[in-house]
Amino acid sequence: MRQGPAVSLTGISKRFGPVVAIQDVDLELGAGRVHALLGENGAGKSTLMGVLFGLVRPDRGTIRLDGAEIAIRSPRDAVRLGVGMVQQHFANVGAFTVAENVALGGQGRYRPRVATEQVRITAQSAGLAVDPNARVADLPVEAQQRVEIVRALARGARLLILDEPTAVLAPAEAAALLAWLRQFAREGGTVVLVTHKVAEALAVADDVTVLRGGRRIASGPATGFTLSTLAAAMFPKSDGTDDATRATPPAPATGEPVLRAHGLAVRGDRGERRIVDATFSVRAGEIVGIAGVEGSGHHELLQALAGVRQPTEGILEIPGRVSFVPGDRHRDALILDAPLYENFALHGAGARTGLIGWPAMRGRTQAVMAAFDVKARSPRDTAGSLSGGNQQRFVLGRELDARPDVLVVENPTRGLDLQATASIHRRLREAAAEGAAVLVHSADLDEILALAQRIFVVHAGIVREVPPDRDGVGRAMVGAG
Amino acid sequence: MAVDPLVAASVRTTVPLLLAAGGELLSERAGILNIGLEGAVIAGALAATLGVGPWGLAGGYAAALCAGAAVGLLMALFVVVVRADQILTGTAATLLAFGVTGAVYRGVYGATGVALTLPTSAPFRIPVLAAIPGVGSALFDQPAVFYLAYLLIPILWWFLYRTQVGLALRAVGESPAAAGAAGIAAGPLRAAAVTVGSALGGLAGGVLVLAQAGTFAEGMSAGRGFIAIAIVVLGRWTPLGIMIGALVFGVATAMQYVVQAMGWPIRYELVLMLPYLLTLLALMFSPRGVAPAMLARSDV
Repeated sequence: MRQGPAVSLTGISKRFGPVVAIQDVDLELGAGRVHALLGENGAGKSTLMGVLFGLVRPDRGTIRLDGAEIAIRSPRDAVRLGVGMVQQHFANVGAFTVAENVALGGQGRYRPRVATEQVRITAQSAGLAVDPNARVADLPVEAQQRVEIVRALARGARLLILDEPTAVLAPAEAAALLAWLRQFAREGGTVVLVTHKVAEALAVADDVTVLRGGRRIASGPATGFTLSTLAAAMFPKSDGTDDATRATPPAPATGEPVLRAHGLAVRGDRGERRIVDATFSVRAGEIVGIAGVEGSGHHELLQALAGVRQPTEGILEIPGRVSFVPGDRHRDALILDAPLYENFALHGAGARTGLIGWPAMRGRTQAVMAAFDVKARSPRDTAGSLSGGNQQRFVLGRELDARPDVLVVENPTRGLDLQATASIHRRLREAAAEGAAVLVHSADLDEILALAQRIFVVHAGIVREVPPDRDGVGRAMVGAG
Repeated sequence: MAVDPLVAASVRTTVPLLLAAGGELLSERAGILNIGLEGAVIAGALAATLGVGPWGLAGGYAAALCAGAAVGLLMALFVVVVRADQILTGTAATLLAFGVTGAVYRGVYGATGVALTLPTSAPFRIPVLAAIPGVGSALFDQPAVFYLAYLLIPILWWFLYRTQVGLALRAVGESPAAAGAAGIAAGPLRAAAVTVGSALGGLAGGVLVLAQAGTFAEGMSAGRGFIAIAIVVLGRWTPLGIMIGALVFGVATAMQYVVQAMGWPIRYELVLMLPYLLTLLALMFSPRGVAPAMLARSDV
C-alpha cells in the first residue's frame, strides 16, 4: 500500500466572529501513525480538522504535506491530496446503495458494475465487510461507518480523520474499529482520531495532542502520557472526571414496584420483531441500566416504556407518570427555533386543554433553568441557541419538573463534555433518590455501569437481568454470556 | 370501433404530458417541487405562437424552450438563491405566467384575440413502424417532436442512473449534506434541474400550439403542468413510472372523446377523474423513502 502523507499544520488560527475557535495551533501527523486529538467539547478539535479537510478556511497558519506547503480550500482539494474524513454524523445518502454512495462526486458516466467492483475490491483489501449493493439506510450504524471508511479509501485517502468514531458503537464494535485503525497505520496509513475518550486514545494512538480553549495544551508520543496526566491537561480541575465515572454503591432498592412488564412484545417501524416476551419490574428509587448493542431492540423497548410506541403483545403496567428524555434531543425533545418557555410547555401539551398561562409558564421555565443550571439569558432564548450540555439539562429539568414516577432516559450524555456529563449524572441520581424509577440506556457501557444498580441486557430481542459487572454485561450484549 | 382513433387521441394527449412530466421528474429528483411548471407550459405555448412567424417551426419550438427556461430561472432565483418557499414561489410563478401571457397575447393580437392559424409540424412518417396495424400510424406518423418525447424516457433514465451528474442530482434531492461532502455544489445543480425541467414544460406548450392546436388561446395549458406533477407522483419518481403515468392520464383523456362519441351512458367527467383517483391511491400506498427526501424543502 501507498505510504500515507506526513502532514504538519503550523500556527493555525481561526475566529468565527468574535469567538476564537483555535489560536496558533500546531499539529504534526506522521505517516504510519495514529494521532489522537483530545479535548472537551468546544476545545477546537472540529475546527482544526475542518481546516485539514478543507471545510474551514483558517485565518492564519500553514499546512505542509510531505514538506511542501499546500492550500486546502475545499473537501475536493483534501480528497485530491489523499485526505479522507469520517464525520460524526455520517455524510451518506440513505436512499442510495453503498456503491452509489462511494461513486458519488465523480465525473462522466456512472457504471454500476464498475462501482460495485471498486467497493468490493477496496473493502476486501482493507479488510472491511461491506455489501456494495445494500441500501445504506437499511444498514446498522457500524456498517454505515465502514461504508464511510471504504468511500474515503476508494477516493484514495491515505490520511483518515475520524471524528468521535466510537461514540455510536457498542464496545465490541469499537474495539474492532480501533484494531482496524492500527492495522491501517501499520500498512503505512496516517490516522487522526478525534475523541474525548482518554482511555481510547491511550490504547490506540502513537501520538497524542490535547486542545483546550482553542489552544494546544500538550502534544507528544502516547507513551509519555498517562490517564491522569491527560485528564489533567484536558480538565484543569479534574474532579469532574472522577464524578462522571464513579460507580454508584448498589443501594438496595426498597421502593414499591412502579413499572411491571409481563410477556411484553414490541415491533419496530417496519413491523419487525424487536422485543419478545419481556418480563421484569422496576421499583421506585432505583436506577436500572438497559444495555444493548445497536439494533438489539433496546431503543424500541425504551420507546414502549416511555409510551411513545405501542407494545404489540403482553402487559405493561405503569400506574404513575412517565417522563422521557429521548436519545436525539434535537429531533425528539426540542423545537430548536422556539423559545425555551414554549419548549417547556411541550411536556404534557397533548393532555392540556384550553388556554395557556404564558407568564406562569415562563416563570416555571425560569425556575427550572435556575435549578438545573441551564445557562441562557432568559426563557425567551431559543432552544437552538444553547450548547448541547445546556439543552440536555433543560430537557432533563423539564421532564423531572413533572415529578415523574418513572423516568426513561436514552443516551443522556451523548456529545457532552465530562463536566456536563457529570452534572447530568448527578441529576439522574438525585431523581432516583427522590423516589423516581430511572431507566437509562447509553451506548457507553461504562456510563451504564457508573449509574445503574441493576442492569438489563437486551440481545436479539430478549431482555434479561445481568449482574452489574463489566465483563458479564459485555458478554451478554454480544450474546456470549 | 377501430383501435386507431383511440390510440391516436391517446398519443396526442400523452406527448405534451410526457414532456412536462419528464421536466418535473428532473426537477423533483433534485428536490424542487416545481408548481411553476404550469406557468412554463403556458409561457412555452405563447412563445411558440410568437416565434413561429419570424423564425419558422424550429424557431417556434426553440422559443417555447426558452420561455419555459425563463420561468425555470425565476423559480431557481427564488427557490435556490433566496430560499423562498417552493409551493408559494411556484404558485406565484404560474399565476404570473398566466397574467403575462394574457397581457402579451392581447397586446400583440388585439383585445378580442384574433383567431390565429399558425403553421403546424407536418407528420414525419417512420417507414415500417408506421405500417404496424392498429397502432402504427398513431405512433409513428407524427411530428418529429413526438419522437423526441418518446426518447425522453430512456434519455432521462440513462442520465439519472448512468451518469455521475445524474447521480449527483439524485443525491442533492436526497441529502444535500452528503452531496456537499462529496464535493457537489447543490445550488447550481438544483437551479439547472428546475431550469431544464421548466424548459421541457415550455416545449410541451410549444407542442400544444405547433403540433396540435395550430393556434393559441389564453389558459390553453389547461392544467397540464399540474397533471404532470400528479404523473410524477403516480410514476413514483422514476422515468418508466412517469411514462406509464402519462399514458394513464393520456388514455383517460382520450377516452372522454370516445365515451362522448359513442354515446355511452356514463359521464365522461368520471373517466377524466380516474387518473387523479389513482394518483391519490398511489400517494396512500407509497412506501416511505420513495419521494426524494428533500422534495419541496428550501432549507438546503
